[in-house]
Amino acid sequence: MNRYFHHELHDLRSMLILIAEKANEAGRLAVEGFLSSDLEKTQHAVKLDDEIDALEIAIDRASVRYITLRSPVSSDVRLIFVAIKASHDLERAGDEAHSIAKRTRNILTRDGSVQNKVEIEAMSKLAFGMMKDAINCFLEEDLDLAESIIEQDKEVDRLNKENFKNLSMALRDGGIDPATQIETILISKSIERIADHAKNLAEEVIYLLTGE
Amino acid sequence: MAQTSTPSDMTDENKPIIEIRNFDFAYGDAQALFDINMDIREKEVTSFIGPSGCGKSTFLRCFNRMNDLIDIANIKGGEIKISDINIYDKEVDVIELRKHVGMVFQKSNPFPKSIYDNIAYGLRIQGIKQKSVLDGVVEECLRGAALWDEVKDRLNESALGMSGGQQQRLCIARALAVKPKILLMDEPCSALDPIATAKVEELIHQLKKQYTIIIVTHSMQQAARVSDKTAFFYLGKLIEFGKTDDIFMNPTDPQTEAYISGRFG
Amino acid sequence: MSEKPATNIFSKKPSRQALFETCVSTFFRLATYLVIIAAGYLFVNIAYNGSKAVFTTKAPFINIDFLTQKPQTLHVYEPKEVTTEQQKINAEILSTKAKRNALGSGEKAQRAEYEAHIESLEERYDILDEQRVEGRLMFSDSEYRQLDETPSEELFKYSNYAYSGGGIGPAIIGTCLLVTGSIAIALTLGVLCAVYLSEYSQPGKMLQLIRLSIMNLSGVPSIVFGLFGFGMFVLFFGWGVSMIAGWFTLAIMALPIIITASEESMRAIPKGFREGSLALGASKWTSIRTNVLPYALPGILTSSIMGIARVAGETAPIMFTAAFALRDQLPWEGLKEPTDFFFQGVMALPYHIYVVSAKIPQNEYTRNMQYGAAFVFLFIVGFFALSSIILRVKIRKKYKW
Repeated sequence: MNRYFHHELHDLRSMLILIAEKANEAGRLAVEGFLSSDLEKTQHAVKLDDEIDALEIAIDRASVRYITLRSPVSSDVRLIFVAIKASHDLERAGDEAHSIAKRTRNILTRDGSVQNKVEIEAMSKLAFGMMKDAINCFLEEDLDLAESIIEQDKEVDRLNKENFKNLSMALRDGGIDPATQIETILISKSIERIADHAKNLAEEVIYLLTGE
Repeated sequence: MAQTSTPSDMTDENKPIIEIRNFDFAYGDAQALFDINMDIREKEVTSFIGPSGCGKSTFLRCFNRMNDLIDIANIKGGEIKISDINIYDKEVDVIELRKHVGMVFQKSNPFPKSIYDNIAYGLRIQGIKQKSVLDGVVEECLRGAALWDEVKDRLNESALGMSGGQQQRLCIARALAVKPKILLMDEPCSALDPIATAKVEELIHQLKKQYTIIIVTHSMQQAARVSDKTAFFYLGKLIEFGKTDDIFMNPTDPQTEAYISGRFG
Repeated sequence: MSEKPATNIFSKKPSRQALFETCVSTFFRLATYLVIIAAGYLFVNIAYNGSKAVFTTKAPFINIDFLTQKPQTLHVYEPKEVTTEQQKINAEILSTKAKRNALGSGEKAQRAEYEAHIESLEERYDILDEQRVEGRLMFSDSEYRQLDETPSEELFKYSNYAYSGGGIGPAIIGTCLLVTGSIAIALTLGVLCAVYLSEYSQPGKMLQLIRLSIMNLSGVPSIVFGLFGFGMFVLFFGWGVSMIAGWFTLAIMALPIIITASEESMRAIPKGFREGSLALGASKWTSIRTNVLPYALPGILTSSIMGIARVAGETAPIMFTAAFALRDQLPWEGLKEPTDFFFQGVMALPYHIYVVSAKIPQNEYTRNMQYGAAFVFLFIVGFFALSSIILRVKIRKKYKW
């Protein structure tokens, strides 16, 4: 039997998916802005981040309200904690997107276009793929998919390290503005963080599904 | 999502159907209710919570003047207006009032008659005897109480053969038969198991589309689940009254906070 | 106490306590047996002696005459030979006894001789008595009048005994009428009063006082009720010794039981039924009528009818108010106006028992009447009690909660 207030949980789920989509979109836009030297896309990403922040607050409120008024137990309470944690992760991911956008803007205003793209493209493809998978495994309650995301994170870490190596070497060699190099390192770091958040999401989905 | 409540959106909602002003009530010399002021709005569920003996049931019984049965009960001051009429006015006929304000009791009290006769009782005592009218009302009320599908094949069996939860819903259906505007419920689920309780709560949620419901409950979870407004009573005083969300998530009075968080006493 | 560890901690341990328990329970058991024996003896005695009057050995096995006829004088003809012989023997027994008593303490042989003689005489007397019972002719008054000629005075010794013949028909009818009438009056009055007291009256000292006095009324001796009924109904209202005066007297006597029992039954109805119907807009009376009285009825009826049945057994209240020792006509005979039905005295079993056992000279024939009447009376009271139980079971089945 479904109770009349169970639709509130459903609403919460929808909000969670929405915030995830937005975070993913924001990150994608920011990185695309970097790759294609497109200032407009980065601005779009920054705007999305604001929406994400607002959504996170709404999810927190709804979760607290549900816990206070509906006294949930078992999978319902897990869903709420996952919602709180995941929305936090996604908000952080949104913040990372925001910072990517900001650094891209810095690079663009300084250099006019992005020269050294290192492995950012491959890395971002991987990271946003993870994010998408994380959303999918939440939607479809797919445990196997969630576990595979955790594996992928290692690859992103490796790429990040490679980027760091390449960029720090480039920094030593000179040529490009050091500030740009450092900012590229930080962008790479941000993408790595987004992948980490995706991994966290996957772990939370596992918790939601198994309780462990 | 979570609405922020301001005093203004409480006033521009539907008009209050019950207005309580400076209401004082006593059993003999012992005052039970002190200076209650409250507005209860149409088609909302209002729940009264508070520790035992805080006067919430007494207050509930003031709305259909059930306290008239107790000889030492007396109104010391103030008034209760339902649809702008002071129900303690001399002109008010208690019988008409009770038809307007139905009541469901803590202990389900179906009469030891058939299910059909239980529902038809309220109409029969008004002198309505036509089978066709009664049949229609019985079906309507049982459907209204989400009981029709469970009992339609045994309308002529004794109501006492039903389960506890069904009995309580039958009592609700019986109250609906006289077409009240307001339904009072005095701890309707206190004797029911969780599933029966859930069904009754579901029913309350359905009924609030048509009726104004006031429910006294000992279960704070229940108050939180079913009601739009919550009133917290302590020692005969109305401590706090407001939206259920506010009362439970962010009460203004420390006593309310203490009670709902179980830190009382 | 034992040194080795107990294997079973719940094993029995002998103690004073256990012995005491056994003694107490045995004591209770004995007391109960005593009561059962006493009650059993009472019933068996009445049933045994009474059935001699009520049942016959020939079909239809019930002594119809006894149950339908009026009490009559019994005319008895005993064979003269036997009775004179008996008289002689009786005289001899008496004289021998006198001689025996005159003997001194030393003459043991002589005493033994007398005693043996008395014994043989008594045996002879008993044999003769059997002959007398076999040979005697008995006629009730009506039979006696129809005789073409009375048995010859030569052969038979004639004697007659008042109230020892005929039956108890009018008394049975009278008792039934008295009981039904007083049930009707007492139930109506009692239930009305109980409804008022338990549902309408203001609780307080006054009500307590009223309840107390009603309860105390049941402790008033029945003869006082009799006198009250006599003064009130018979004299003051001028109803005379009549059925209606008896009804009211019995009813008033039963009222305390009925009011108490009815109040009790109504109080036992859950408050929820009253509140439930009141909350649906029922007026107070509607709620009582539809949701209190029907469910209280089984209790009211049972205890009330039981109460009445008890009261109906009283002799004193009807002695002055309603009962005739003997009445020729049945209640529906010889009425000038229909209302006269109520204003006539009737015979009643308890009073009849009283009359035949205390008001007339006792003899071997009255015994039969007393026990017969008592047995029938027990039967009637049992019937009323049983019907009240059946009624209760039926109503309870209809209203069950």
